[in-house]
Parts: sequence; structure tokens; C-alpha cells
Amino acid sequence: MRLTKSEEILEKILEAANDPSLREGLNRSRTLATAAVSKILAEWSDLTDLANYIREVKKKVIENINYYIDKTMRSVEEKARGHAYFARHREEALKIINDIIGEKKRIIVKAKSMVTEELKLREFLIERGHEVYETDIGEFLIQISRDKPMHIIAPAIHLTKERVVKLLGSVGIEVNESMGHAELVAKIREFLREKYIKADIGISGANSIAADTGSIFLVFNEGNISLVTTFPPVHIAIVSIEKIMPTVKDAFIQTLVQSGYAGLYPPTYIYMISGPSSTADIEYQRVYGAQGPKELHVILYDGGRINSINNAVLREQLLCIRCGRCEFHCPIWNVAGNIWGGDVYGGPLGLGWTAITEGLDKAVSLSIFCLLDGICKEVCPMKIDIPNIARYLKTKYREVIK
Amino acid sequence: MVVLLVTKRYIVNGVFMPLPLKEVIEIIIDNTRKRGSPVPIPVEDVVGWAEGLNLPRGGSVVIYTGLLYQMIPYIDSFVKHLEDLEKSSVAPVLMKVGRVVGRVIDLSKIIRVPREEIKKQHDVIRNIARLLIKAGVNFGYLYEDDMYSGALLYDLGLDDVFLEHATKVHQIFKKYGVREIITIDPHTTHIMRSIYPKYIEDFDIKVINYLEILYDKKLNCRSLEIDVTIHDPCIYSRYENIIDQPRKLLSNIGVKIIEPSRTKKMTFCCGGPIESLSPSLSKNIARIRMEELSTLSKRIVVMCPICYLSLSRVKTDDIDLRDISDYLARGCL
Repeated sequence: MRLTKSEEILEKILEAANDPSLREGLNRSRTLATAAVSKILAEWSDLTDLANYIREVKKKVIENINYYIDKTMRSVEEKARGHAYFARHREEALKIINDIIGEKKRIIVKAKSMVTEELKLREFLIERGHEVYETDIGEFLIQISRDKPMHIIAPAIHLTKERVVKLLGSVGIEVNESMGHAELVAKIREFLREKYIKADIGISGANSIAADTGSIFLVFNEGNISLVTTFPPVHIAIVSIEKIMPTVKDAFIQTLVQSGYAGLYPPTYIYMISGPSSTADIEYQRVYGAQGPKELHVILYDGGRINSINNAVLREQLLCIRCGRCEFHCPIWNVAGNIWGGDVYGGPLGLGWTAITEGLDKAVSLSIFCLLDGICKEVCPMKIDIPNIARYLKTKYREVIK
Repeated sequence: MVVLLVTKRYIVNGVFMPLPLKEVIEIIIDNTRKRGSPVPIPVEDVVGWAEGLNLPRGGSVVIYTGLLYQMIPYIDSFVKHLEDLEKSSVAPVLMKVGRVVGRVIDLSKIIRVPREEIKKQHDVIRNIARLLIKAGVNFGYLYEDDMYSGALLYDLGLDDVFLEHATKVHQIFKKYGVREIITIDPHTTHIMRSIYPKYIEDFDIKVINYLEILYDKKLNCRSLEIDVTIHDPCIYSRYENIIDQPRKLLSNIGVKIIEPSRTKKMTFCCGGPIESLSPSLSKNIARIRMEELSTLSKRIVVMCPICYLSLSRVKTDDIDLRDISDYLARGCL
């Protein structure tokens, strides 16, 4: 008998729920991450106020999204001297990226970015014959394991050290079982170092983008994103439109809030990029492409978001800053990780995002497993009524599942 | 019934198959439409708790049970059968047959539920009613017109079926001239207080929970001198802000409350809400919670019949799991 979409999801959830090593990984990361966030919020109490402030700012941006898209595009071109593009859907975005890269086979280094997951960009580029490397260590492990990322900011939490050793060996990195965590990281670092130097193109997302200056902000801890965005001669940043903030100040505050609620505060690095690298040190003649990239391309990506603004329930998901805190607290996520999710976004935040980026039907099939226990809303820095989104999706269940 | 017996033969050890979800949902809808609740209960098991209390029929203030406590033994039995089905490779076929059978035969007439389990739940409601009486509250009861609230229909997103059901409930209240209802569990409290007014235009009945009432009353109680670990139901703490009331009531009777790390507004779900779609997933979540609670003390207090059932499924024999009303009755009656 053929399973419905929901039953297929449930089958996978049950399989995950009965996988002891997955459970162990989820449990460990959940305990550490939730404790880290609680500690940060207790120590840096102004983060809560800043979160409330960002919620209001984001609401304003969403209500005037077309104005802010135009303004950001202009700022990228005029102030940041970058090339600005707007892509309505995946095909448009891939065409733009393909045109920038050209026909020649390239070496491409990538920062971890959810929007590139939406575009399935890595797969697309590999298919086109390019050599592509994820440089976030978790995402690199996901790339070589071909697994599904289990958490929005900690994709590889389900992989044990033993499995990591096997995976690294499979791509020719010389490691063995007796190596400790630090040695494994050193081996990955060595492997990736060479790629940065050879890379023709660096691709990143952005944590926020400022409409007034066109600056993009990137938050990271591993140090990889500065290399991805600085070493190669060309930097392409793909930014989903809900990341637009009116001012450079707000864009910066947003990155602080996101870091705090993600459990990494202060973040090791916040990178602000306001254009390609340049120098005027020889006779005051401005030369672009000094020691960093010569070209900066910023692609603003819609991917279903503008359309969702018309939906009074779903639009609230656009306030999400993707800190992933709701995932760690969700009971279903606790037993199944992002297996309970769409192709890209899982856990509580994954319901709304899947509806927006992959379509209502897929999200409806996921929604009936939501407990409506409400912890996600409780811990959300943007106070998004996720249970309301879940229940709204459930009301469509009998229409969708025939 | 035959269906339920046959399944046992097809159990595949250790492998859980997804239940045919649409069938489960349709069974819940059929039951609620035809027999008034997602899992049917015979009327004597709905009203049995009130025997001997001499509560007047109707009145402007009534205790409204929403049938949730009474339904617990029946839900338990239903979910156990689902759990067998979950381990069975022939579940989809059997569920379809089961639904057809369920349409014509009232399974509550056939399903055997242990009398002591029914009595246990009746004792909870009886204790609550007696506490209210002792606190000087005057209230009536609707007896066989006491109805299920429709909470599960709402939670499953079945808005049209929910509205249909809620309208019937509202009609009953109107028929008796009820102005105020006293609710006794989180799900019924929330659905009546916060959801009915959104769905039924002229719903103006005041909804008050018994813990809120007792919180404001002076009861003459003795001290129990024990420690218990508290488990907040999500609905009380996050949706209805009933957090301080149970704590004050318990400390009044000398109960020392042990707070788990996930407590109050940060409480963790018991797994109950998913029991009808996947009993094994529900148990997985309950185990996480039970592990957390049971390391703190062997006595665990709950305030919701669904939490009670979910946690009782995964508890070991040494765990003393009780509804809050049990302690309050011991201290104050």
C-alpha cells in the first residue's frame, strides 16, 4: 500500500527515533546549546531588549519590502561598488550565478549558507563541472557524508568521531581512529587551506544586509568565512530578502542578537563587507582588487518570501533570524532532529520556512506531527507564534492528503 | 474488535510502521460526530464520579469536566491497540476495516476497560468537586449532558468538525442557562476560555479553572510533609498562565516542590499530543521527560490527565505518579 507524504515522514521520524547514536548526538548538543544560550542571556541581559527591537525593525522591513529591496540594490551598486541582482526563484538565481562564473571549470569555496541549500547550489555547481568545497567544518562533513544537515547552525551534530574518521578517509585525508578531535580539525584545516589559495570564486550567504550602505554582515567562529570572502578574486553573496535591515547599525545589532540566541556570544568574528577590496596608495589612483576580491556580486533572493507576505499567518516566519533555538527545545526535534523537516529547514522553524520556500503541501504533511506544546514560541527571540503557523498548516491537512 | 485481535499476529518485532494517519483522523472524526468524543465512553462512566455528591442539575455555575479524565482509560486502551498496529505490517488494511466497523458498532460497548482505572479517574474528579464544595463554591452539574470540549479536533486542525461540535456544546450551555463553567484540566480550560470565543460569536460564558478558584479560597488543611517533583502541563503554563496557583496550593499543605530544570514556562511536553498518530513517538518523548523527572524524586505530581497517561506508560513501578488533586484531597478533605 502506498504511503502518503505524512506517513513517509513519520516512517523516517520513527527510524530516527530508534537510532541510539542519533539520539545521543541530539541529546548532547541540545544540553550544551540550551545551557549556553541561558547563560548568555543571563549575562548579557540587553540582548533580550535588542531582540525586541529587531522584531519591530524587521516588521517594518517586511511591510515595505519592495522599497527596501530597491534601496538595498541601489546601495550595493552605488555605495558598495558591487554588482546587485534580484532573483525571484531558483532558476533565476542559478542563471545569475552561472553567468558570473562563466563556462570555465572553477575551484569554488563556500561558506555555510541556508539560502544556498535552498538553491541546492553546491549540487548545481558540481554538476556543471566545478570543484566545490564547503568550508564550515560541519557542512564539509555533511558534504562528504551526503547526510541531511541535522540542525540549522550545527549541521553535523549527529556524526560520531568514528564516523568522521571514516568520512575524512574516504576523501583522501590521512586520519586514523587514534586521533583526537584537535588533530582531526587540524587535518581538515590543512586540506581546506590549499583550496582557499587555489579558489577562483568564494560564495557566501549573509546574516544581514544594510539597505543604507549595501554592506553585508557575516557571523562566524571557525575563521573560514574571512578566507572564503577574501582570498578568491570574486566574491558572490546570496542574501534572502528578509535579511535586509534598514541601516548598518540595525544590521549589526541583528547579528549580535542572532549570535546570542544561537549560543555563541560574543561571536568570534563579525565580518562587514562593503565592497570589493581596493587601494589608492599609488598616486591616489583607486584600484579595485587590492589584496582581496576584485569583484563583489550581491544577489537578493526572493524564493517565495514576497508571496508569503500576503498570508497573514505565514508572513510571521519572515521575522525569523534563524538562530535555531526553537529546534533545540522542540520535543519532536529532540527525537528526530531535522528528519522532521523539509529539504532545507527542519524543526519548528522548518514548518513556516518549508511552506514559504518549498510550498504549502510539503509543510502541511509535516505539520500534523507538531505537538502544539508551544516551547518554540516561548524561546523564540522574535516571539514568532510558531504553534499558530503549525495549526494553520494542519487545517489544510484533509485537503492536501487525498 | 476482531480487527484489533488479528493485528497481534502480524507484529514485526522492533520495527515501527507509520499508522495510516488519515484513517486515524477519520476515526476520531467519526467517533466525535456519532458518539460525542474521539474515543467513545458509556454515559455511566461519564457521570459516575458525581454519585452521592448531590450536585444540582444545571444552574448558572456548573462544573464542566470536558470528559477528559473519564476518557483516560478508554484512550489508553485505544492507543494500546494503535501501538500494536504500529508494529504490524497489515495496519493500513486493518485500519480501513476498523473504521467501517467503528461506524456501525460502538466500540465502547465492547472494549473492556479495567474498572479500577475508571474508578481512579472518577476519584480525581470527585476530589476536585469535594475541594470546591469545601471551599464554599456553589455549582451544579450537567450529568449526561456533560460533553467533550472538542480540544483534539482543534489541535488536529479539523476546524469545521470542531466548530460543529463546539456549537452543540454551546447549545447545551444555553439550554441550561449556564453563565460560568468550572474547568478541571488544561485542555478543556484553554479551549473553552481562549478558543471558543474566537469561533462562536456569542460565546460569553465565563471560564474559570478549579486551581484558580482554590488559590483564592481559605481552606483548612493539614501538612503532608513530603517532597514531590512537579511537571507543568504545557497548556497551563504557556497558554493559560496557571503556574503559581498549583505551587501555592501544594506548599499550603506542606508539600515541598522540586522544580526540574525544564519547568514553568519552559516545561517539556509529556508526548501526549501525538499519541493518536504515533504511540511509539509519543512514548519516546515521554521517556525523555520521565528520565528528567524521576532522577529528582520518586514522587511526581501532574495536573493534566493526558500528562498522567503519557508518563504512566513509561514509568517504572517505584514511581509514584499522581494528579495534584490527590494531594490536595489528602491535605484538605
